[in-house]
Amino acid sequence: MQPESSREKVEKNGEVSAYQATKKQKLSKKRYRSEEKKDMISGYLYIAPFFIIFSLVGLYPALFSIYLGFQKWNGLSPMTFVGLSNFEIVLTDPLFWKSVYNTIVIGIMGTAPQLVFGIIFAFLLNLAFLKFKHFFRVTIFMPYITSMVAVALIFSVLFSDHESSLVNYLLSLAGVDPVNWSSSEWGTKIAISIMVFWRWVGYNTIIYLAGIQSIPNDLYEAAMIDGANKFQQLIYITMPMLKPFIILTVFTSTVGALQLFSEPTVFLGNSAFTRDEAMTIVMYLYRDAFKLQSFGTASATAIILLVMITIFAVINTSLIAGKGRKKRGENA
Amino acid sequence: MSPLEKRKSTPVSKILIYVLLSIVSLFSLFPFYWMFVMATNPSSAYNSIPPTVTPGRLLVDNFMKVIDKIDFFQAMWNSFVVCSIVTIVVLFISSLAGFAFAKFKFRGKNILFMAILLTMIIPPQLGLIPQYFLISKAGLLDTLPGVMILFFLNPLGIFLMRQYISESVPDELIEAAKLDGCSNFKIYRSIVLPIILPAFATLGIIVFSAAWGEFLWQFTVLRDPEQYTIQVALAQLSNTQNVDFGMILSGVFWATIPLLVIFLLFNRLFISSITEGSVK
Amino acid sequence: MRSLKKLVALGLSTALAFTLAACNDNEKSSSDDVEKGDKQVTLDFWTFGATGYEDLAKAYEEENPNVKIKVRAAETAEHHDALFTALSAGSGAPDISMLEIDQLDRFKTAQDRFENLYDLGAKDIKDQYLDWKWNTGENNSGDFLIGLPTDIGPKALYYRVDVFEEAGLPTDPDEVAKLISTPEAFEEAGLKVKEQTGKVFIDSIEMAFRAYLDAAQETFLNPEGELLLEESGNAVKEAFDYAVKLNDLGIVGKFEMWSPEWANAVNKGEFAAELGAGWLKGWMEGNATEAIGKWRVATLPSEFAANWGGSFIAIPKETKNAKEAYEFVQWLVSPDNQIKSFQSKGLFPSAPSVYEMDEFKSNEDEFFGGQATAPVFAKAAQDINGAVYKGEKYFPVYQEVLNALKNVQSKGADPNKEWEDAIKRSKDLLKR
Repeated sequence: MQPESSREKVEKNGEVSAYQATKKQKLSKKRYRSEEKKDMISGYLYIAPFFIIFSLVGLYPALFSIYLGFQKWNGLSPMTFVGLSNFEIVLTDPLFWKSVYNTIVIGIMGTAPQLVFGIIFAFLLNLAFLKFKHFFRVTIFMPYITSMVAVALIFSVLFSDHESSLVNYLLSLAGVDPVNWSSSEWGTKIAISIMVFWRWVGYNTIIYLAGIQSIPNDLYEAAMIDGANKFQQLIYITMPMLKPFIILTVFTSTVGALQLFSEPTVFLGNSAFTRDEAMTIVMYLYRDAFKLQSFGTASATAIILLVMITIFAVINTSLIAGKGRKKRGENA
Repeated sequence: MSPLEKRKSTPVSKILIYVLLSIVSLFSLFPFYWMFVMATNPSSAYNSIPPTVTPGRLLVDNFMKVIDKIDFFQAMWNSFVVCSIVTIVVLFISSLAGFAFAKFKFRGKNILFMAILLTMIIPPQLGLIPQYFLISKAGLLDTLPGVMILFFLNPLGIFLMRQYISESVPDELIEAAKLDGCSNFKIYRSIVLPIILPAFATLGIIVFSAAWGEFLWQFTVLRDPEQYTIQVALAQLSNTQNVDFGMILSGVFWATIPLLVIFLLFNRLFISSITEGSVK
Repeated sequence: MRSLKKLVALGLSTALAFTLAACNDNEKSSSDDVEKGDKQVTLDFWTFGATGYEDLAKAYEEENPNVKIKVRAAETAEHHDALFTALSAGSGAPDISMLEIDQLDRFKTAQDRFENLYDLGAKDIKDQYLDWKWNTGENNSGDFLIGLPTDIGPKALYYRVDVFEEAGLPTDPDEVAKLISTPEAFEEAGLKVKEQTGKVFIDSIEMAFRAYLDAAQETFLNPEGELLLEESGNAVKEAFDYAVKLNDLGIVGKFEMWSPEWANAVNKGEFAAELGAGWLKGWMEGNATEAIGKWRVATLPSEFAANWGGSFIAIPKETKNAKEAYEFVQWLVSPDNQIKSFQSKGLFPSAPSVYEMDEFKSNEDEFFGGQATAPVFAKAAQDINGAVYKGEKYFPVYQEVLNALKNVQSKGADPNKEWEDAIKRSKDLLKR
């Protein structure tokens, strides 16, 4: 498993393809077809483990949720079929729409900036001259592994409502009145967005770092010869080559943002499921299921959320993918 | 960004980069540091205003209280077993499927890939009851495999691997290997695997930490103290009343250290990987 | 649906046998401690909070070598959610489980998933416990008992000696109880504290609200699940109005219970009084270290005599050892063991015979300046009128009304409009 040797293999590309071209001509059509067939079988075989596990532990819960969307069920008594009434209850509930609004606002403030900063951090962390690389890479990832218990406590202390809390104190130096972080419309959203950003930016950074690692070195060398500076390298090489990874993170971040749950829940503590300032869609759903014993409306909410996520994910990823389509490898 | 526009990085731009990264590190590290501070202080420091920010002297005392109350090392071992197996299985399943999606042509490929993405969007909070039902019917309640199986599902891993493999493994290399009579699995093992090590490092860290920190599912499945994973064991430390924060945070702190070690190990793999120092 | 479930379950178990064969080494079989031929019994016991039941379980194991008890502790919410999940899925529930009083009605609706303790002989020990506590564990018609009583949470007036002194109020517990013997006197004392010291009287609007609320026997919902808030003379409205009134007088603080600011305020004496249950004492002793000797406990006006918290122990129907489980539970909540739970973790006994024990009466508290606080709470426990009906959705509806009060306090919102809004939101909740 010597990485260097694999690198050598990659660099021999030129020779290899010439070699392969001559050999390919020698192949009979029949043989070529059987090769295709073998690939197809391998393809199915290789993706089979995921689908087997999915059909065991993923499919049943999904179907069960869809089924529940049309039932009234408190978790213990027998279910009763109620048609579309769960959907009606949810879609006409102002609190549901408030939670949609909250989720989107926090997503824009807390999740979207991660993607921009993630790329910048990844680029900087990959710079050759950088010393203490180890150290910086580890620290930037630390929030992801820091226990939520500690994170919740820290943030509730930093963003406490009292005038003496650290953030309010700093604001007072700038002449701003103390903010009510636990129950005001914008205070809660800002504090939670900062928490989300803080916790996940390192996660995206290391995904981008993996992406940067997959960019062939020669591209940068060629760019250097052409006189490109670091910033130009970032814009004209790193960014376009990272595109598939950007699409990946845009997709996962869209899903993550719309499914936001842990951060607001731990930040708000006792009032998490009782106030509407920062209630997200999944919190709304969880409240229905586990605080109100209404699994039917919770499932209906999940189905609505599923549709929303699909729409948002398609829009966001195609927005990113649409810009300067540059095909590299095989992008399905 | 203007300082960066010079042909060669000037000391000024380098210093700026160091300053920026240092500030980021400081913010990232602080809660972790604070966890250490709480782990070394008495319980009352927790609620003090202004907050205590210097380490105390109870490093050992607090931890002794932890191992007195719960079987800390057994729980750490259980978590380690769960997370290691989960990580290995996920890496294997994801890279194999990622390889297939990136390099093979087969019917329904795109639809199947979309299907995998769709599995990501089911909110996990709702699956709890049916998943629990399945595990209990399969007789896996209160077992570590019962905890693991849910973590085996990792669409993100397939997504990441597919992207990475299609980027970094040249088609020509695979074609050539085929012509030399390599089976597809051999290609996977001896060509694809070595190239995707950095992506393994990334995915491995993510999967391991996520499984390590997860609580709700593990708590729901496990009930025998001998089977407890670390998060479930730590939950035994806190009570609604009479809370000893110094002890709790001590447990939390020491339970996070293995993650740090794992990260450093994976990071080494990362650093020594192929394009190290590519940008000069 | 049923056959699909079966099919999936079958497929799952067979496939898992294969995919997980590799990790079987790491799985210490947990089933090897089931019956080993003789009458060996293992009981799973789920608890929450600090109960000290682990130690009592060990003592029981020594007396009964054929019984092994596995205690699992958790936070309140997690404990009840896990139990709910297990009951809902129909498997994996423990042999014995604690149920918190506020959560009780949620589980009473599924009484068929629990053993009727009357069938196991609970009638015989009924007389040992406070009537209201015992009745709370029964169903509406009184023929089904879901749980045996553990601890209770009688409320009393906690007050700061130094703040009372500064305000010119008495500091001796008996004198304080005599002076603050009506809700009106309670207000007046609050005003005096505010005028003389500039401090607030009670910590938060939630506690102001609970003053009347906890004492009411009929609150948000009736057993048919109907909302009672709009009925005239509803106790919640009375409690709401009283909280608004106290807030208007400026004697209510913004220290939310369990927040660091609240803990700090308890420590430093930033508010004068707290309407707390017996269990709050345990927290104070451990965490308000700067306030040693500065708090006392006095009896509340009888209008405010109430219970806050406490638990029951139930036996889910899934158990194969109901008889052994019952015997253990009966032993665990007996007066002799309630005094032990009281001494070790401050769980306040629900068996009045304990109140007569010398160890109970003479339990003097350094933290409370040497006051023997237990008799104060014991008196409060006996002043409580009767069982309180809460209902399955008690907590969510309670939260809606509390939100209204918080908006009144922190945003200066109009109380009447907030009250109407809370009713509207509550109705939305109940539709589900």
